[in-house]
Amino acid sequence: MNRHTVDRSDLLALLPETVALKYLTRSVLSGQEAPPRIALLRAASPMGEPSARWSAYALCELVDEAMSRFPEGSRAAADAWLAPRLHATLRMTRAEASDPELWIYVAMVVAPDYVVWRHLGGAGSSGEPAMVATGRFTGPHYTQAFARLWWAAELFRDGDDYRPAVTACRNQDVLNTVMRLDLIDHRPSARAVVRLLDQGTIRTGREVNALAKAINTAGTTLLYDVLAPDELPEQEGVREWIRDAETAPPAPWKALPDGPKDGRIPEASVDTMTGCFAGLFEKAPVRGRADSPSPGVPAQGVSLHKAYAESSEPRSAR
Amino acid sequence: MDNEVGAEGYGSWLEQRLRQQGISTAELAKRLDVTPAAVSAWIGGRSEPRDAMKRAVANLLGGEPTPLASPVSWYHRPAHADGGREFGNAAAFAFDADVSVLAREATQNSLDERLDSARPVRVRYTLHELTGDHLNFFLRDLGWDDLEPHYRVAAEQKQKVGRVLAEALRELREIGSLLLLRVDDFNATGLIGGDYGDSKFAAVVRDQLNSNKSSNQAGGSYGLGKATLWATSRFGLVLINSTLSEPHEGRTERRLVGRLELPWHVLAEDEFAGPAWLGTGDPEREGIARSWWADEATAEALHLERDTSEPGTSFLIVGAHDAAGDTGNLQDMHRKLVSTLGQNFWAAMTSGRDRTPLLEASVVTMRNGIFVTDEERVDPHVEQPACARALRAYLDGDTVDQLTAAHQVALAHVTLRVPRLGTEPRTEGGAEHEAVLLVTPADDKDESSNRLVCMRGNRMTVMERAVRDLPLGTDPFQAVLLAGRATGRETRATGLAEAFLRAAEPPEHNDWNKTEELAATYARGALSRITEFRRDMDAAVRGIIGRRKAKRDGGPDVLRDLLRLDVANTSRRVNAHPSIRHVSASVDDSGAWQVQAEVKLPAREDAWTLEAVAKFDVRSGGRPRVPWARLAAGENCRVENGLLMFSPGARSASFTGVTDVTAHPVNAAMASLVVDLQKARESA
Amino acid sequence: MTTSVRPYPTLAGSVELEVVGAALDGRPQLLDMISRQERVVALHLNERSDWREARLELRARLPQRELSTGPWQKVECVAVLTEGVTNSRTLRPLRRASDGSWAGSITVERDLHRVRADLDLFVTATIGDVPGRIVGTDENPWIVDLTARTPLRQRTLEINEVDFGDADVPWLSRFKELPWLVETSGGDVPTVHLNLGFEGLKELLGSGGSVSEKALRGSIAAQIAAEAWTAMFHSAISELELDDDGTPQWPGGWRESVLRIMLPDVHPELPPADALFEAHSSRANGGGWHELQSRIQYAASRRAKVSRSLSTAIRSLDRSKEARA
Repeated sequence: MNRHTVDRSDLLALLPETVALKYLTRSVLSGQEAPPRIALLRAASPMGEPSARWSAYALCELVDEAMSRFPEGSRAAADAWLAPRLHATLRMTRAEASDPELWIYVAMVVAPDYVVWRHLGGAGSSGEPAMVATGRFTGPHYTQAFARLWWAAELFRDGDDYRPAVTACRNQDVLNTVMRLDLIDHRPSARAVVRLLDQGTIRTGREVNALAKAINTAGTTLLYDVLAPDELPEQEGVREWIRDAETAPPAPWKALPDGPKDGRIPEASVDTMTGCFAGLFEKAPVRGRADSPSPGVPAQGVSLHKAYAESSEPRSAR
Repeated sequence: MDNEVGAEGYGSWLEQRLRQQGISTAELAKRLDVTPAAVSAWIGGRSEPRDAMKRAVANLLGGEPTPLASPVSWYHRPAHADGGREFGNAAAFAFDADVSVLAREATQNSLDERLDSARPVRVRYTLHELTGDHLNFFLRDLGWDDLEPHYRVAAEQKQKVGRVLAEALRELREIGSLLLLRVDDFNATGLIGGDYGDSKFAAVVRDQLNSNKSSNQAGGSYGLGKATLWATSRFGLVLINSTLSEPHEGRTERRLVGRLELPWHVLAEDEFAGPAWLGTGDPEREGIARSWWADEATAEALHLERDTSEPGTSFLIVGAHDAAGDTGNLQDMHRKLVSTLGQNFWAAMTSGRDRTPLLEASVVTMRNGIFVTDEERVDPHVEQPACARALRAYLDGDTVDQLTAAHQVALAHVTLRVPRLGTEPRTEGGAEHEAVLLVTPADDKDESSNRLVCMRGNRMTVMERAVRDLPLGTDPFQAVLLAGRATGRETRATGLAEAFLRAAEPPEHNDWNKTEELAATYARGALSRITEFRRDMDAAVRGIIGRRKAKRDGGPDVLRDLLRLDVANTSRRVNAHPSIRHVSASVDDSGAWQVQAEVKLPAREDAWTLEAVAKFDVRSGGRPRVPWARLAAGENCRVENGLLMFSPGARSASFTGVTDVTAHPVNAAMASLVVDLQKARESA
Repeated sequence: MTTSVRPYPTLAGSVELEVVGAALDGRPQLLDMISRQERVVALHLNERSDWREARLELRARLPQRELSTGPWQKVECVAVLTEGVTNSRTLRPLRRASDGSWAGSITVERDLHRVRADLDLFVTATIGDVPGRIVGTDENPWIVDLTARTPLRQRTLEINEVDFGDADVPWLSRFKELPWLVETSGGDVPTVHLNLGFEGLKELLGSGGSVSEKALRGSIAAQIAAEAWTAMFHSAISELELDDDGTPQWPGGWRESVLRIMLPDVHPELPPADALFEAHSSRANGGGWHELQSRIQYAASRRAKVSRSLSTAIRSLDRSKEARA
């Protein structure tokens, strides 16, 4: 598979999903052919103000290194290495990162080879060639090949400390399941999940999924934010980190880079959430776990009428 | 009210005085240098002191030397000599009043009669229910024995007034309770002037009640409004005690009089015109009584005592009722008075940082002399929060040009070009008056919003109207327009505007519009000035609240109309499908949810087969389904293969279920449960 | 209707949140930025885009009497601002004010938001020994819209009139022979692109004209709209989250609006939730997919009033023939 050479002056751009879908043919998805670069570049629109942080070259270098570091068979392990470095290279605000067209451009134009390298599954049972799911190019933040890594680093970092994000990305079930939960937008909750992994309280994919289900369910009766208050991240720290992108050296390959200094998560709140989640997990049934859950506390039931069907304005959902 | 029981009357007066002042019988005897037995005899009514002694007593204890200087009793006006009968000058309109009308009229009168303009006029409404002895004593002191025969015959008449009276008498007899409604004002002129002729007193007490002739305005402001006092009494009976701001006959306090309105009636072959007065007989006018100067004891016995010597008048409406019929009990009437006062006089009651209000009003409810509710001061900020906030901001100079917060008040000026009078030369007269428009976002408590309240004079509401041509999606607001003297300015233009607007009001004073008076008094073009004024005030309101640009999204209308995403506009069949009406559930000792559900079924002859599904609710994403450990049919259904089969034709059904605790994704005590009905699925 | 039951007592009285003021970078904004009826704050009303943070003044009313007599301890009232696409979550406590309401403010960081944020209110309390229980919420959250010029809840489709050959929209150039294009991907509201480069289209869809021009306009508009509704339905049904048992969830946003509008015509015999399941499973399993196509076409045509505009067009043709005859 051929890699297009990226010029040092190339900058990232925006590519509409409609255009991407037209070119995501079977041969592209199966890695037999690269997307038509020239046609895509013609359909892309620039990002706004040029800046070093939009350098496509830096991104290419990083992705190339990832692909050479992790041999066939351990490609999933690349996630934990790439996520913090991608985040530290592509410095931007959440508002900027929420633009799907940016990620589509990266996947379609800058590094389509990485998407195939990382996400091409085995051949189908009917003998059809293996294909990358379309969502790895154009999907939501928890599916798209690059967005999921950037957002994992963003959602699991502790201020400028990427180590919790590294732990999170080592577990594919955290990326696939926990990342989808909107409750991890509460930083102490996200940090607590990682701490349970660090402590070895949860290890297997089944356990991660059981934990996710338990805390997602209990989140309808408990407001975690009130149990474990968080400080508002300091946006000025993020803005400074973004400004530094002009002069900062490329992200180190051996050591972990530093993230934006927007404030650490209050330790006491992380402790509270860790204890809370451990307690919820303890009573959750895990397939294959021997001990059955202990009986719950008797409580009274009260009926809340929620007229979903009657609401004229649907709630937005992920 | 019979003076023949003089000794007894004096005795009870004396006893009351001593009690009030905390002086013992023995002490009085000592000070007067008489024996205690003599004082006891006076008190017991067994003897009466001589006049000199009475004066000595009065010097010591204060008050009148004699409680009733001359005989006070009811004087019924004989029928006209020509035999003309009036089946109710009162009857035509009275006995049919709403307490809110009373509160409005009486309070407006008090406001118009304010004495010291540096202080508010105080108005107090007291609802007082009497039963038992309290009722009996009141009726005795009122002279009921004299009145009752008149009421009885008047009640036999077939006219409406007869029926009302009969009903009132029946209730008094059978239920044995009487409601008094007392209206007091303080810091007001009082009923000054002579008993007859051109005086405020005569205007209230003498003149016809149902007349609205301008001559009726002679005594002051008591016009049509006073009739509502009598109309509110189901007995047509009102007693009055006035403290005068200017002495009459050398006195100011406790000028008492009573007036009764009955239709023409015959009693013991004597014909009576209907009206009667409680007072002392006027030797010069047959069948007519004058007001009298009462002592404190009498005033107290008639429930007319005033708590201070501040000028003003107390009206006691005997047998008060609310013909509007929306007040079932004392509390309702209390509440209605408070809200009426709030609604109509919030402006007069609103004060600024260093400006007193024009009016203070309160309502109190009593039963047999005991407070049922504490005196409730009517608070404009509670009754009309947004309007009161607007006015207060104006009085304090705290207004803004543009609204940026929900508590703010925006001010704009609306110009009224007052034309010259028809009689003035072309080059003179007329003026430009800057009326004040206040706009503020409506408060949650405001019942109606998006209206403009227009006022002039002593902040009297002339009209309340909807503002036209508001942009869609305008948030609720309240607007107040102050014109003329209501602006608080005292300039030539203010005065001219006040007069012009009054001329633009119909007799009801509830609109500013083209009137004959306007056309007759002012130069040509006056009519269009009022139209312009109305138009400009609407525009000014829109200028403040409707600043929003009506910017349309692009695209041809024809296409846009077909692409609306309004879910609300979709036609949906109501109740065409079975639904869960109610779920109650609790977590049992084993940690399982115990569920009882009621199902609403639309009318259908065929049976419904549905699946009941329990799920745990989640913050985001997919919800885990919890299988049933047990599902049991209740009313109108049975369970078959895990599905609910509802009986044909049934409109409601019920079932119970217990969740399988081993499949709970989390301790049930931490979860919320969702129960749904769905079409049976093949996989199920 | 879905009924959610909680294992502890919740508030029966209503909990209501209001936005009572807004400031951009400390500058108070006119109240017309806020619609209490629509429950929307339109931060882009003044078309300023250089602000960094918006501060919203909040006031909440809670059933205070119920709270003081009930089993709820340590009651807290918090406002939560969230936006799905930026994974942002900002939470601020409100405090009891002297008048019995709860008051506070919340900051909208521009860098943390993209299009529309939801502003929710939660009341929490300790019940028994469990702290932080959600006992009440404003069922009708506010919307803070960063791009809207008018505070309106309902978002309409975008109609983008553009020359497909224009260099500013390079990606449309390959469609430049088309009169219009419906775009539903991209996350935000769907867009109908009208090709200004297509000669006569703009004039035809504009206003005025003869009777037969009007009739033609109506029927072209109906055709575009039917295509848009069909495309929107497909887009909406294709990205559904599923419950563990395969039940699809309402997707929220414009997708949910489209489904709720069209499903009663797609599956008139079914309640909305079952209709959603049917449509989803026909698509996912392929079973009944062809029948579903016709049903979608029917629903889309109804929304687009295809039959009515076509009848009008035919009649006007008849009349003009008669006039000539």
